[in-house]
Amino acid sequence: MAETILVVDDDLDILELLKMNLEPEGYNVRTASDGESAVQSACTDPPDLILLDVMMPHKDGFQVIEELKDIEETKSVPVILVTARGQTEDKVRGLDTGADDYITKPFDLREVTARVEAVLGRTRPIKYINPLIRAMGEGFSEEGLEQLAGHLQAAAAIQKKLLPEQAPRLDGFDIATLLQSSTSVSGDFYDFIPLSETQIGIVLGDVKGNGIPAALLMVMIRTALRLLCHEEDTPAASLKRINDLVARDTEADLFATMIYGILDTETSTFTYANGGHCYPLHWNNARSIEVLKVGGMLIGAFEEATFTTGTCLLAPGDVLVFYTDGITETEAGDAPVSDGNHSESMRSEQDDIHEDAILTDIFYGSDRLAACLSKNAALSASALCKAVVSDLARFSGSTQTRDDRALIVIKRDV
Amino acid sequence: MNLDTTIGEENISTLHIEGKILGNASDAFRKEMELQLQTGHDKLVVDLTNVPLIDSSALGAIVTTLKSCQESGGKLVLLNPQKAVQEVLEVTHLATVIEIYDTEESARDAFM
Repeated sequence: MAETILVVDDDLDILELLKMNLEPEGYNVRTASDGESAVQSACTDPPDLILLDVMMPHKDGFQVIEELKDIEETKSVPVILVTARGQTEDKVRGLDTGADDYITKPFDLREVTARVEAVLGRTRPIKYINPLIRAMGEGFSEEGLEQLAGHLQAAAAIQKKLLPEQAPRLDGFDIATLLQSSTSVSGDFYDFIPLSETQIGIVLGDVKGNGIPAALLMVMIRTALRLLCHEEDTPAASLKRINDLVARDTEADLFATMIYGILDTETSTFTYANGGHCYPLHWNNARSIEVLKVGGMLIGAFEEATFTTGTCLLAPGDVLVFYTDGITETEAGDAPVSDGNHSESMRSEQDDIHEDAILTDIFYGSDRLAACLSKNAALSASALCKAVVSDLARFSGSTQTRDDRALIVIKRDV
Repeated sequence: MNLDTTIGEENISTLHIEGKILGNASDAFRKEMELQLQTGHDKLVVDLTNVPLIDSSALGAIVTTLKSCQESGGKLVLLNPQKAVQEVLEVTHLATVIEIYDTEESARDAFM
């Protein structure tokens, strides 16, 4: 989601200049031309960052910062002060008051975007974990907050490193992946684990929940699976161990759905187990879609859960697709029923039979994904990924994503 | 989403929900169930008749509450989930651990 910047300056030309400079960078820009309306605007709808001119009549930048720091909703909004050249005192006073950075006038526009991005990069994780901090109570110190923010950044970095950059090359198979994150730390993940010369483990999962706990859970699942998959004979046994580990060590509302399977390039079979995840799709040589319905309990909520191993034989040209619900739950762009209130009023007017039709209109759904797969099954794995992405963009009218999306396409060579 | 809780015979709380349980609505849903537990109501019927969709955080709330209810000797049951919700319950296999009923009477009988 685009971040919002509130730009405050009494010089309307500068306001316009900054707006024109920042909007193409993907930010939402709001403006205020005096201190009073800046405070009001920030309180009504706290922005992600404020670019604040110091020298303004009536209420200057320092007074604005002091007021904002006293208000619960705005006290953690980062502020970059814009000061006149050479006013070192201003800079010192500004940083003392709680400004996060400063820019001197006249400024270089590239410097403005660089500083904005640097400050947002620093404060983004703090904003992200604020709900967690609130849950932990009032007594939480500022040092603790910074420490946690640091941990989250580390977790995000670890996660990025953990995700394989490229799908592995395998004899006789063409594999491509897609991962689109809606936040700095993604809940969706995938992994490829080399098991032997002819076998590779394939993982696709979706950690539910937010922030550090979810990020840590993802790292924990990935690491644990990498270690224990070598010890277990079947994917079902591997998932069972992961489940027991997570169920024992985490709260019940922290859980994941995932598929773990082994692709054997010699026998062209895919052996898999499913922990509550969306069913994979198999486009087979009969030119039809088979849904791989061997399912199982979601991972991490119940210690007693057991799993089943399923098998799927891949003929030449067959395609296997794994996806997360961020794909099937992509909402339609300009559908008349896309907003909640509207659909509720429709429900009262129509009978239940129409409910399915309404839902089919709201969400992309697995049927559309299956249709897209059938239509493009002749393409390469990476072209198929791209075809799904453009189909989603067409359906939703946007290239942005509200939820994380992950996709793995495995195609056996013809 | 609209949420309305009624407390009936045998201290059974029924949460009547109307609309999608997504995002902020999931938080409200979670808090309402927590409130019921805190006030000693651990016999919960979650009426999903008018819920076209739920998200994963609402699912998490159901799992957590289900476990809390079981620990205190109570129970959480679902009433009449619609197609999309039923599908989520089946894919996640939650349908195998949560009791699901079609009618309010049979849901209430589950506590007798």
